[in-house]
Amino acid sequence: MVDPNLLIGLSMLTTGLVLGAIFALTAAGVTIVYGCIWLPNAASGQFFLLAPLVAWSLSTAMGWSPILAVAAVLIAGLPFAYLLERLLIRRFYDVPDRNIAYFVVTLGITQILSGVFSITWGQWSDQYNIPPLAEGVVFIGPFPLPANRLIALVGALALLGALFVGLRYHRFGRALRAVFQNREAAALRGVDVQRIYLGAFLLGTSVIFAGGLLYAMAYSFDLSVAWSMGITAFAIMIVGGPGSVLGALVVGMLFGFVQAAVSVFASPTAATLSYLLAMLVILLLRPSGLFAR
Amino acid sequence: MNRMRASKDMWLWISGAALVIGLALATAGNRFAAFIIGIVFLNVLWTAGMNLLYGYTGLVSMMTAGVAGIGAYGTVKLFLDYGWSFWFAVPVSAVGAAAVGVILGLPALRLRGFYFVLSSLVIQVALTLVFIYFPQFTNGDTGITQIPRPGLWLPGFGAVDLTGPGFEIILGLLALAGVAVVYMIIRSRMGAFIIAIREDDLLAEELGIDVTRYKVMVFFISSLLMAVGGAFYAVYTGFISPRSFDVLMSMNIWLMVAFGGRGTIAGPIIGSAILVPIPFLLQELYQIKDIFYGSLIILVTVAMPAGVYGTILKWWRVRRQKQNTAVAPVAIKRMPAE
Repeated sequence: MVDPNLLIGLSMLTTGLVLGAIFALTAAGVTIVYGCIWLPNAASGQFFLLAPLVAWSLSTAMGWSPILAVAAVLIAGLPFAYLLERLLIRRFYDVPDRNIAYFVVTLGITQILSGVFSITWGQWSDQYNIPPLAEGVVFIGPFPLPANRLIALVGALALLGALFVGLRYHRFGRALRAVFQNREAAALRGVDVQRIYLGAFLLGTSVIFAGGLLYAMAYSFDLSVAWSMGITAFAIMIVGGPGSVLGALVVGMLFGFVQAAVSVFASPTAATLSYLLAMLVILLLRPSGLFAR
Repeated sequence: MNRMRASKDMWLWISGAALVIGLALATAGNRFAAFIIGIVFLNVLWTAGMNLLYGYTGLVSMMTAGVAGIGAYGTVKLFLDYGWSFWFAVPVSAVGAAAVGVILGLPALRLRGFYFVLSSLVIQVALTLVFIYFPQFTNGDTGITQIPRPGLWLPGFGAVDLTGPGFEIILGLLALAGVAVVYMIIRSRMGAFIIAIREDDLLAEELGIDVTRYKVMVFFISSLLMAVGGAFYAVYTGFISPRSFDVLMSMNIWLMVAFGGRGTIAGPIIGSAILVPIPFLLQELYQIKDIFYGSLIILVTVAMPAGVYGTILKWWRVRRQKQNTAVAPVAIKRMPAE
């Protein structure tokens, strides 16, 4: 029989791995949008929660299979993000201090969505979970991991890898990075900046939705996830360096392990508080972040 | 400031005071209406502070509610647990809260634009967590209930019980005083400096204005107004909890300033007067308050950046300009004849 302390340690490691991958993915979504459009999405936590809530309704109330529900939400997310860009985000593309305007607007969206959540899903249940895709526990060497969480982990890592490769080698990814670095120069080189902005917003928002769905596949969740995830994603972005996907990956993984470790000894709120402090310290000492481009 | 303007100002303040007292007395019979008026007065005080910060200096601070909370908790602690007189506890805790606000905000004030907004938001969230997780000062999430209203001793009247319209009158005069403070700052040299900082802080620095010093001064003064408002909110409603001073409140105060018209004296007053009563009047639909305010935030940012009063002012200026240009040719014709 294995030593129980070792077991706790190992499960902490795997939890950290799963959480870290999901944190990194979500923060990558936030940081792509900020780096490219200059849009600090304060509503990212609400988006992160919105996707699994819809999937929860589809799978429990309507009886869809979880895979179908997740796929449907991801597909439905695209027109949602497109409409948002069309109606709201596009109006500020040429405003000089647009990150402040965006921040305020997305705080407004946050307020709207949390109001909507509390009068809809908040009335229907206080704990949600999407039916598991797979049962049982898988051992990777000595690491015990529920199969369901393994799927979430693999999904998150695969998406992160695709994001990395896509941004580096795909035509769209290269154009997106060009706009990151210098909007005017990219425009002069024939990049359609407006289209890249739209693409970046769709991509970033979809990635946040995917992060939320993967989280919901691995763990049951409640409405407070929105606030804590919003803070976490922002903290990862600021600490890692706004616009740096590598920073999001490294810091996201780190925060995932911190969360897993802190949750064993203290409440998850302590972890959130520590992210807040980390973000504040970085803001005050090195606003460009640890992995500044 | 010339003498004519000074006397005009004086009449403005006197009529303001008359209006405030009149409103408080008119609603004295109806406790519900009187309560709404009282909360409007408190918000006028808060928005005056936010207006100085955001409207005139261009600092979007999201930690205003936290500072108000420190003022409120500090006053209640001194008033209830240490037995201080309320009227002595308010200035002490207000100065304390403003000092804490400046100490917390000082590093952030060096940051520009979005990074300041984000830092202030982070500080606000941290303050809310502090309010929740230090129950020995705040009674945690449950909040502090049944805070008694203080009495007042007035020369000539003796001890006055502040349960009737008396308290609304005090809140109204306090709000008026807050607006007057902002007004006087704007009319002074400092006002010119902070508006220069709002318009272009790099240029202001080049012109020899000590930008950080003025930002800190503005931050301190507006924090004072916030904290005094928080203290009076506590005894007026009799109940405070971490939820009373969370980030939503910071956003709502910002919204009232932006909606009414930032950088104008009348704008935030109009904003408070319109937006504060709405959730009270929507009682059945109280739950959609967040949705309503959130939509309004987006609407104001997208469609009406100048706010209600700013838009009216602009319209009025355009109209007057049109009239002037219509009159001008006549005046020119007349000139040679004279």
